[in-house]
Amino acid sequence: MADTHRHPFLHGLSKHRGAPPTVVVIFGASGDLTARKLIPAVYNLGVDGLLPADFFLVGYGRKPIPDDEFRTLAADAIKEFSRRELEADVWSRIAAHTSYVAGAYDEKEAFDRLAQHITAIEKKLGRELQVLFYISTPPSVFAPILQNLGASGLAGKYLGQPHHAKVIIEKPFGKDLASAQALNATIRSVFEEHQVYRIDHYLGKETVQDLLVQRFANSIFEPLWNRNFIDSVQITVAEEVGVGSRGGYYEQSGALRDMIQNHTMQLLALTAMEPPVSLDAEAVRDEKVKVLKAIQPLVTGPGGDVARAQYAAGMLGGKNVKGYLEEEGIAPNSATETYAAIRLSINNWRWQGVPFYLRSGKRMARRVSEIAITFRRPPGTLFADGGRFDLAANTLSFQIQPDEGLSLILNTKIPGLETRTQPVKMNFRYATTFGSNTPEAYERLVLDAMIGDGTLFIRGDEAETSWKLYTPVLDYWKSVGRDGMDTYAAGSWGPANADALLATGRAWRQP
Amino acid sequence: MPAIFNALPGIEVPVSGIARGLADMWLDAAARGSAAPGADDVTATQVNFVLHLGSRCTPEDALRQFETTVRFSRRYPSRVVVLCPRFSEVDAPDMRAKVYGECFLGKSKSDKRCVEFVLLSYPMAARPYLESQVSTCLSADLPLYYWAHGFSTSSRLADYRYLLSRARRVLIDSSVSPDDALTYPWPNPNSLRDLVYSRLLPVRQTVGQFLARYEMPRLTEGLKAVRVAHGPELAAEGRVLLAWLRRRLSDCGPTGGCLDWKLEAGEARHLAIELSYATSDKFFRWHGDLAAKHATLEADFGHGKTELAAGASLLSPEAALSEAMFF
Repeated sequence: MADTHRHPFLHGLSKHRGAPPTVVVIFGASGDLTARKLIPAVYNLGVDGLLPADFFLVGYGRKPIPDDEFRTLAADAIKEFSRRELEADVWSRIAAHTSYVAGAYDEKEAFDRLAQHITAIEKKLGRELQVLFYISTPPSVFAPILQNLGASGLAGKYLGQPHHAKVIIEKPFGKDLASAQALNATIRSVFEEHQVYRIDHYLGKETVQDLLVQRFANSIFEPLWNRNFIDSVQITVAEEVGVGSRGGYYEQSGALRDMIQNHTMQLLALTAMEPPVSLDAEAVRDEKVKVLKAIQPLVTGPGGDVARAQYAAGMLGGKNVKGYLEEEGIAPNSATETYAAIRLSINNWRWQGVPFYLRSGKRMARRVSEIAITFRRPPGTLFADGGRFDLAANTLSFQIQPDEGLSLILNTKIPGLETRTQPVKMNFRYATTFGSNTPEAYERLVLDAMIGDGTLFIRGDEAETSWKLYTPVLDYWKSVGRDGMDTYAAGSWGPANADALLATGRAWRQP
Repeated sequence: MPAIFNALPGIEVPVSGIARGLADMWLDAAARGSAAPGADDVTATQVNFVLHLGSRCTPEDALRQFETTVRFSRRYPSRVVVLCPRFSEVDAPDMRAKVYGECFLGKSKSDKRCVEFVLLSYPMAARPYLESQVSTCLSADLPLYYWAHGFSTSSRLADYRYLLSRARRVLIDSSVSPDDALTYPWPNPNSLRDLVYSRLLPVRQTVGQFLARYEMPRLTEGLKAVRVAHGPELAAEGRVLLAWLRRRLSDCGPTGGCLDWKLEAGEARHLAIELSYATSDKFFRWHGDLAAKHATLEADFGHGKTELAAGASLLSPEAALSEAMFF
């Protein structure tokens, strides 16, 4: 943001140091996400001095919790989950502005009480506050919360002014196209789109943001970033964990809904989009939507663009682990996939003919998320003798987690009198260069929403475009039950049927 | 002034053998069982950083700045060159060098950052050769940052044109610099940053965030007096804070009616700001106790009185360096 457009008292401060007076209201205040991520995020923003002096935190939940007890729960959450130790002076200032309102999500009167609570804070403070609602609840109560925010007048609070109300919504943004459209319709009935921040925490990760910088701030990459030089792209979001105690939830979800449709598609959009005209939120999101719309419809059925599987019993980290169907809460004939792989084609000038391979699974060999760009092999026969020259395809990989960074595979001469080659890996690791104590994704995203920057959030049409692509796949899978469901050993890199998506000579990476 | 060079840590090596000395330093460390960096770690250099210790520096002061640079480079791995000029001509005419290295181990396996320092002690007679020597110690192609500390006159520092003109930022601390240091016609005046201003970031942010929520005319209409009070050891901070308020308020609107811009003595480790207006019911006050890390904000701009507690601190020296360098 150029200083000329800002209040003079914000000149010389980065935009993240200019958050306005804000009250953050968390729906689902006693939930797991609140304890693990949201409270620690708020606290760490306080440690970094990024919260305004007039910052307030209000928890909202069905369970009646006295203010003091909520503050104790919050402090305990910081002690357990924060990346930094609890500093008494920082926490005491936040705690003094922390309170709790109990109420049902479908109870209009409770929302009226919440509105009165916020007004009382403003009155005591002597100034108006921006209200940032954070909906961190199961999706089943999204609609009543949104409707009551509208009915109570909270959604429209200060609309038309810079400190208008805003809302952060956690995924899932629907479970198919129809439900996503319905959710968006509910959202838009009470909020304007510019007030809405749909969160995908992947977008808050440093490496994901760095992807834009690497692509558009380095002139060596962009000229190569097209079908003339790139052979294929693989995007992997692999988890070591199984479904654990979340079997009941996962049975309704699966890898495609849980990971592919959101996280991997966001990574794909940032990898494949055209350069935006600016870093303005709408300019970036316009380009993301454009590239998502250029993806060709997926072919389902045998020989198509999709593969799915469930993990079978196997060994991970030297220990035997159960198969998916033996996990607690899983139906013995479950047709929910724990692994999905997709082959995408983008029908535009830049990417025509370049396959994008996406995969995500549970109980894979290791936890890793990465984007790998594999370049075409050099033409000619200069180094064609396979006996002497071990040439690898140049591959640029962005490791999103863990060990955030990027690496580039180059071919190099092995020292010696004879010319022989060997691939070498050039590594850049964030932790080595910048230290690992970087802000967590939620810190960045909560602060971005506070300052009204939607660049790293998902717009309604992005979510719908993604669902439009995947809903036919879900419908097809539903229609065929377990037909075509493969298995893979827990601790492996995935099922055999995913290999069929790759053209001859290509293989899934084992990052 | 070899006393400074002697006071700083490191292993003395021949100037012609600095590169080898750095390599041997890690080998020695490995042989003793200390953490030694792999090649990747050593090359994780982000910036070139030159710390220039001027004639006003005492050995104790030099050691403090050296340690600040070490802490800074743990966060931002740097190739650091420390310049220790010797002003007495009776010293030996040759340059001397030391190398110093340190690996910082973080929480994760990959969080290991190693830094290398080269310390150069030189008589003024060797000054014409210094720039070439410094260039061989820096990492090619990476940006250069230059911190001149404790120099006696600006004109004397201006002789270091190579560093002053090539550096992306030139850092000085106006609390310990000559009076004309901020106004001297440096080769690239836009690159100059005052560490006092950087240290004040938390104060500027708290006050700036608070006042930015008010319409600009409201902050200047009827403004009669702006006062900054400071503890005796915070005179430079008080001066810079008052200048900042003057610039910011002037950008908000006409402040011609405000004839009273005053610096006042206050309690030790305290800073305070007061804006007074034509009517007594309109005011702004911020009072920071830096020792207790606590501040109070009080204001009334016509919507009723607002009272808030806030944190109060100055940036640590190493954080002030990074703020001045990167933001």
